[in-house]
Amino acid sequence: MTADPRGDAGTVWHEAFTLPLVLLSAALLGGLRIDAAGGLAFVPPTLFSLVLAVMLIAVLHRCGALDPARLVHPRRTGLANASGVVIVVALGAAAAQMIAALTPEEGLLALVFDVAWLVLIGNTLAARPDRSRLLSSLLVMFGSAFVVKFILLGALYAPDASLTKRVVMALVEGVSLGALAYQPPGPATGYVIFAAGLLFLAGIAALPHGRHPGGAVDAPRVVDGVLLEDGGRPAPAALDPAPPSRGA
Amino acid sequence: MADALPALDRSWRSPAVIRLAGLGVTALYAVFIVWVYAAQPRSLREMRGGVAASIGAYRIDAAAFDEGLRYFRTDRFAEARRAFARADPAQRDPRTQYYVAYAFLREGWGRVYADDALYRQAQIALQRALAASPDGVVRVDDPDLALKSSDEMAETLARGLRRDVSDLNPLAMLEKRP
Repeated sequence: MTADPRGDAGTVWHEAFTLPLVLLSAALLGGLRIDAAGGLAFVPPTLFSLVLAVMLIAVLHRCGALDPARLVHPRRTGLANASGVVIVVALGAAAAQMIAALTPEEGLLALVFDVAWLVLIGNTLAARPDRSRLLSSLLVMFGSAFVVKFILLGALYAPDASLTKRVVMALVEGVSLGALAYQPPGPATGYVIFAAGLLFLAGIAALPHGRHPGGAVDAPRVVDGVLLEDGGRPAPAALDPAPPSRGA
Repeated sequence: MADALPALDRSWRSPAVIRLAGLGVTALYAVFIVWVYAAQPRSLREMRGGVAASIGAYRIDAAAFDEGLRYFRTDRFAEARRAFARADPAQRDPRTQYYVAYAFLREGWGRVYADDALYRQAQIALQRALAASPDGVVRVDDPDLALKSSDEMAETLARGLRRDVSDLNPLAMLEKRP
């Protein structure tokens, strides 16, 4: 085995413990449903949520929020690569469970949510924003799905007439839910999924990103005499004037 | 000795050891998650009992079980089931679940007809007993019981839930209570 080029203890702890445990916790909690009587059920992800999870990982990679070379690379040790594989698998499981948790289980609403996920993730994949914009976008996507499923739909289909239900019904006055069937989850489920969502987003934000030190380096580009970095921004050295030499 | 301690401290902080420990902890956690999704515990109590049973540390409350048995033998079946539920909160003990099923069976049994709802609950309890049994069958050597194995009870329950011409046989009224 070759030496681990990034063997500092903090990074190793992060890869060996923090990321896998955070993402696996999100996967565990993402499938938990608690009914009104307090009964537990653990729901595995749907096939479509697995597909969407793979797309989401592709988005993270393309937008620079996840650098696979920092997790699995020939220059890393075997144990380090095993840690990296565990992180990727845990990320996939957590993503699939979170998407499934934020999607209604069945009916027309499930189809609507699935199409919305597909369009949003596909659009993000095509737009290829940078990492910080991607993280903001994911926060909005997952946050909106949570609000719609657990607050709006939960209130609309709640058996009792809560204040939220009255407000929503007043806002959509004249609109009938008709035969749009939906079984709202128990109130405790929302809190669990909220915690799982925070863990998942924190896990994504903490993924190793940026260019791997041993990875391929793109050739610098020069446009109009200005040295550009990979993202197309002028390099700091190109903007700052060179320090005067002592001999001048 | 004084030199050995810093060396030991350094070895615990080495990347390989941290990664090995991390992989071990992660593997244990992943196994727990897979078990939870496979076993589908319906309450935290069942989850605790399931984890304890999987490492061989689950024990029923013997005093509550004996109390349930006393109720069962005096035909106070609802009280017996409550005591058995206290004795086996995780529903992981085959013998206790067998008695729970038996309590439903005896309560549902009648000379003229069988109570289908209670018989179905007996079937559910019997399935729990079978699921908890390592060899897939439960045998209880109790002279008070007419049905001493899960096979006999399963057949009695299926016969009680079946609708056919034998239900009209008047001699069925002379059958002994199981």
